Amino acid sequence: MVEREEAVLKKSGVIFVLFFSLIPVFWMLIISLSQSPDFLVNGEMVLTLKNYFDIIARHNLHFLDFLKNSIIVAGISSLFSTLIAALAGYAVSRIRFRGRMVFMILVLTLSMFPQICIIGYLYKFMSRLGWINSYPGLILPYIAWSLPLGLWIMLSYFSQIPRELDEAAMVDGANRFQILIRVILPVALPGFLSTILLLFIFSFNEFLFALMLTTDFHSQTVPVGIALFQGLHGELPWGYIMSASTISCLPVIIIALLFQRQIIQGLTRGAVK
Amino acid sequence: MNNKGRDALLFILPLICFVILFILIPVIGTLLNSLRQDVSFMPKRFIGFTNFVRLSADQKFWQSVLFTLVFPAISVFLEMVFGMVIAITLNQTLKLRGLLRGIALIPWAIPGVISARIWQMIYRYDYGLANYLLKFVGIGPVNWLGSSSGAFLCLVMADVWRTTPFVAIILLAGLQVIPTELYEQAKVDGAGPIKRFLYITLPLLSPIIIVALIFRTIDALRVFDIIYVLTGGGPGGATTSLSIYGYRFYLLGDFGYGSAISVMLFIFALIFALIFIKAGKFGRLSV
Repeated sequence: MVEREEAVLKKSGVIFVLFFSLIPVFWMLIISLSQSPDFLVNGEMVLTLKNYFDIIARHNLHFLDFLKNSIIVAGISSLFSTLIAALAGYAVSRIRFRGRMVFMILVLTLSMFPQICIIGYLYKFMSRLGWINSYPGLILPYIAWSLPLGLWIMLSYFSQIPRELDEAAMVDGANRFQILIRVILPVALPGFLSTILLLFIFSFNEFLFALMLTTDFHSQTVPVGIALFQGLHGELPWGYIMSASTISCLPVIIIALLFQRQIIQGLTRGAVK
Repeated sequence: MNNKGRDALLFILPLICFVILFILIPVIGTLLNSLRQDVSFMPKRFIGFTNFVRLSADQKFWQSVLFTLVFPAISVFLEMVFGMVIAITLNQTLKLRGLLRGIALIPWAIPGVISARIWQMIYRYDYGLANYLLKFVGIGPVNWLGSSSGAFLCLVMADVWRTTPFVAIILLAGLQVIPTELYEQAKVDGAGPIKRFLYITLPLLSPIIIVALIFRTIDALRVFDIIYVLTGGGPGGATTSLSIYGYRFYLLGDFGYGSAISVMLFIFALIFALIFIKAGKFGRLSV
């Protein structure tokens, strides 16, 4: 009795997860592949790849520019942010300095600031530097903005590595920086890579900073491009928007499917315990 | 300063520099700007709390405050419910469980702007999927984005879709540390799945539920991207969050007033953050 009840519950759970997660994604795919987005009311559905060809071939749509900007900005900022977070995480995990706890709480509190409290002033700051609509103008704030998350994840990986490893190296006369590079990082490499992936998703999806700090396709990212997409006569070009969305979602969906274990670990290490 | 302090400082210095330059200084700048008249092409001057006095008499501001507080209450509650169902499912022994976990992450992984665009299309009055499906149960067509309650519901559903995976994996982590013997024992005693959930899972998971709740609440307070795309804050300002309202003044070049709005949001977030630090006391910060 109980066994069968359980099996039914389990199956319904799986079906719920699949429907909940995939229906909107499938809908995006279907619209991107159909000739006109209104096939639900206007008769038949014609499958076509035209939207994809157009979005890639028509340079005035600038989709490839947005994608390139996004990958460069998210790639560079996630790499640097992880490096900087690794340095700080190492110190917090290994050096028993005073105020460690206060430092961690302060960094955590920073990540809770609403972006709108930062962006007004940041906009003026970047204008004065002449960095509006440039890569550094986006990359530098992204590094700062993803550091708190990066720090917590790196810290959780470091604190799992036995201290005996450092102590042995220290006896051999290595300084702390050498220990980090030669002893800790090789062991924490999986953690390092999954932090980069998580922070990549984090920056790839960011919207408000990119909206304020960019003005055209030279540095606008995918979210900004897709949010500001306009049709010629007011009607939104749904086929283009959805094919651009599908292509842009591919990298993050692949990351989610291939590295689900690392992502889940990264996101939860800080929360549990 | 002792040796340890100096060593540590060297390692955390890059982080401190970035955080001070690109987070702390801008936040302080916003706080100071809220006390200024700072409109593009006009001389700046200190005006004390005038911006806040103007806020207190601004109907649209109070409308956004209401939205900003009600929106998290409803959407975070739903995220907890759905997140729990998904977390429990992902914690079962299943074939292809890894793949299912990856699939469950997808709504969280894709950019918020894109999920807002997908929902915007689903909610279209004339040929949207939502009205098409509702027709079969004899409802509709509903003017989703044209009415204030409809627009509110759309935003809640879009936000729930996008952030439930995050809640689910936080809860999943909590589920994984509950000893399985407890369930085995309850099974022997003849407790069904629902009883086991109510008497074992829920009480043991409550600290993690609180962590997820507060993380999500603080995040939902600052909601911006899905509103920007889905409703633009409309109709008639019904779905204008404080982030959207503040942004609108930045866009107009009125940085003083926009900053005052941001500061109010900051205060709300701070209150929740303080609760978070208090709630975090139960063992969370054992580094």
